[in-house]
Amino acid sequence: MESFDGLMSGFAVALTWQNLLYCLIGVTVGQLVGVLPGVGPTTATALLIPLTYGMSPASAIIMLSGIYYGGMYGGTITSVLINTPGEAASVITCIDGYKMAKQGRAGAALGIAALGSFIGGIASVIGLALVGPPLAELALRFGPTEMFSLMVLGLTMVVGLMGTSIVRGLVAMFFGLILSTIGMDPISGALRFTFGQPFLISGIDLVTIAMGLFGLSEIFLGMENLSAVGKPEKLTGLFPKREELRGTSGAIFRGTWLGFFIGLIPGTSSAVPALLSYSIEKALSKTPERFGNGAIEGVAGPETANNSYCGGAMIPLLTLGIPSSPTIAILLGAFIMHGLTPGPILFKQNPDFVWGVIDSMLVGNAMLLAMNLPLAGLWARIALVPPKLLYPIVLILSIIGAYTVSNDLWDVGVMLVFGVIGYVMKKLDIPMAPIVLTYVLGAMMEKAALQSVKMNDGSLMGLVESPISLSILILATIVFLGSVYAEIKNKKAMLAGEPD
Amino acid sequence: MKNGLLFSAIVSAVALTGATGSQVAAQGAFPQREVTIVVPFNPGGASDMTARIIAKGMERELGKPVVVVNKAGGSGGVGMSQVARSPADGYTLSYIPVELVMHKALKLSDLEPATFAFVGQTTVVPAALTVPVDAPYKTVADFVKYAKANPGKVRVGNSGAGSIWHIAASALEQNQGVKFNHIPFEGAAPAVTALMGKHIEAVTVNSGEVKAGVDAGKLKILAVMTPERDPAFPNVPTLKESGVNLEFAGWGGFAAPKGTPKPVMDKLSAALKAAASTDEFKTFITSRGMIVSYRDAANFTKFADDQYVFFNGLLSKMELGK
Repeated sequence: MESFDGLMSGFAVALTWQNLLYCLIGVTVGQLVGVLPGVGPTTATALLIPLTYGMSPASAIIMLSGIYYGGMYGGTITSVLINTPGEAASVITCIDGYKMAKQGRAGAALGIAALGSFIGGIASVIGLALVGPPLAELALRFGPTEMFSLMVLGLTMVVGLMGTSIVRGLVAMFFGLILSTIGMDPISGALRFTFGQPFLISGIDLVTIAMGLFGLSEIFLGMENLSAVGKPEKLTGLFPKREELRGTSGAIFRGTWLGFFIGLIPGTSSAVPALLSYSIEKALSKTPERFGNGAIEGVAGPETANNSYCGGAMIPLLTLGIPSSPTIAILLGAFIMHGLTPGPILFKQNPDFVWGVIDSMLVGNAMLLAMNLPLAGLWARIALVPPKLLYPIVLILSIIGAYTVSNDLWDVGVMLVFGVIGYVMKKLDIPMAPIVLTYVLGAMMEKAALQSVKMNDGSLMGLVESPISLSILILATIVFLGSVYAEIKNKKAMLAGEPD
Repeated sequence: MKNGLLFSAIVSAVALTGATGSQVAAQGAFPQREVTIVVPFNPGGASDMTARIIAKGMERELGKPVVVVNKAGGSGGVGMSQVARSPADGYTLSYIPVELVMHKALKLSDLEPATFAFVGQTTVVPAALTVPVDAPYKTVADFVKYAKANPGKVRVGNSGAGSIWHIAASALEQNQGVKFNHIPFEGAAPAVTALMGKHIEAVTVNSGEVKAGVDAGKLKILAVMTPERDPAFPNVPTLKESGVNLEFAGWGGFAAPKGTPKPVMDKLSAALKAAASTDEFKTFITSRGMIVSYRDAANFTKFADDQYVFFNGLLSKMELGK
């Protein structure tokens, strides 16, 4: 009940007009940087920290965390409208969201994403308030060994995104895995595939790859026939229809849980719950063939999951002072700069501050919903802009975005190269999403695998000795066998039905 | 946000190309236009924040804008190399992290202290030997005894292969003749998290990184590796006090390209000294678990040369980059 009292008392802080204003500024900036490809919430938070010097600690953290979760809302918009994910979590949204936009249903996609994000955001904040501290202890049990198994589970889920051909899907997955090995080996420090190029030492930036593979390739493809492509006849359904809402309630519910629990685990990425949510929805659906062709659950689930991830990720920070992602690490820096050390003591010494910040996240999510639902209809009109006008604008925005990744033309070049690769792959019908997802998972998996082996004196036994790791690996095996079985059954059915 | 970044980037690019043709301004006239500080790491980290506060302070002294541009990549190599190649006119400076003296030994780049003209040192980043609060050892001597009895069993987390905190653990290892199992993480924070979850036995990272864990009652610091006690943890002994003859710390400072004229260097050094003495800077540095430690150009140059020799000695005995 202590938490409940805290939650109520925090509104006294969160609802002062200054803090409401800072919260509004934070979520608006977050939303904007989410929309602009290239500049992510991490950079935005870092650059705004100096502005908070003169503010009270509560106002500063309220504004900075607003940027963090606001960014998750914004990332959806470019994914749906121009097939350009602003961060890893939105890669999944591109798959069905962009298809929906092409069918004139961009409004419905954005509307359901905003609604799902809101529900996920609110639920995870309430979870944070009520059960945060004990869960954080649990999350600490996730070491490199458990992380490796979780990533294996993630990879088996990617299998579900392969599309129609297993061979093409595997090509995409291995391409992503190979890309993830570029740069300095995390364990020995050896340089791999860098060709003496200092820019490659820290690997290739994920956003740069995603902008090239998804956004640019779409433009290249569209330029083949400028007058005839991309534009839907008319916009239908600026808001999700009633039956669509009912159909997605399960996806939103499951996405909330997934995001919250994965957010708790330090070192994961918000792409992981989004990916898991998409795969689960596809597996549970009675009509899995709609996925990849504009299934609204394929937008609702992942978008909910990546927002509830934010609330979950705040738990290790607030209760133990553990930064579980790069943006959270910058938030931790801001806490310390304002003389606050996150952890159990903070709850005792500065309850007004902690609960004020937690409540501001409820307020901020409500603001984002109020902003995004009406805006969804407006944004959706971008889908009607003729490609001749839209493509140059998107191209310029992408180039600026890539430039800001490292303030150098290097990333612009990398993005262009991946644009061409994406174009060729689209021609060859190779799916893009597995490339980006295995890129994210592969890097985390390799690191975790090597750490785990090193921690267990060069033995792989640690993977099965840890109960958490063992359970996840068993689950992964079941998922993998299940999808292989489904694939074989499909193939047989296809062969029997129509000889190819 | 984006415009600010882009604008500063364009300004610096224009400044760089423009300066090649023009002669260095007459004595006393420096600076004629804004000065750019390149931070070779991403925004938000301790180095970036240090440079931003210093930039603010130098701006007041120089009377012209001082812009911070982030050029991350290559363990700092991308940004530092760019500054090294810039015109030696004092308009482009680099934040110099301790990594500079490690680059050659790690085969990351050809950068070495002789590549730069140093403006001054601003900070020391202390390392601390930290273990879980309920670990069986209470002192460094206990810890070393345990490590000797269990060679290769004590897992020490660091912030990446060949990173400064990896070398800190190796320095202790070589000094005491013990054998650790070094576990690299991507940055100090994940290593500290793994320590809190007891997946490893110890870390030798910056004391600021473990403060939250210590305050939360999950971690304890056995010793700091600096010559003097850390003001943030006045009750924690130094390694020397614990009977281990070793000093180890990271550090940060600023430098211009080699060949920058003396009057310009003097002006920059004076501005840096003033910026490093402000209360704002001192408060910030202390709050981030670092120590304010100003060295002027001459002393910093000598210090960096000494560190270059010290680190090369350590690194040559470590198995890295293979």
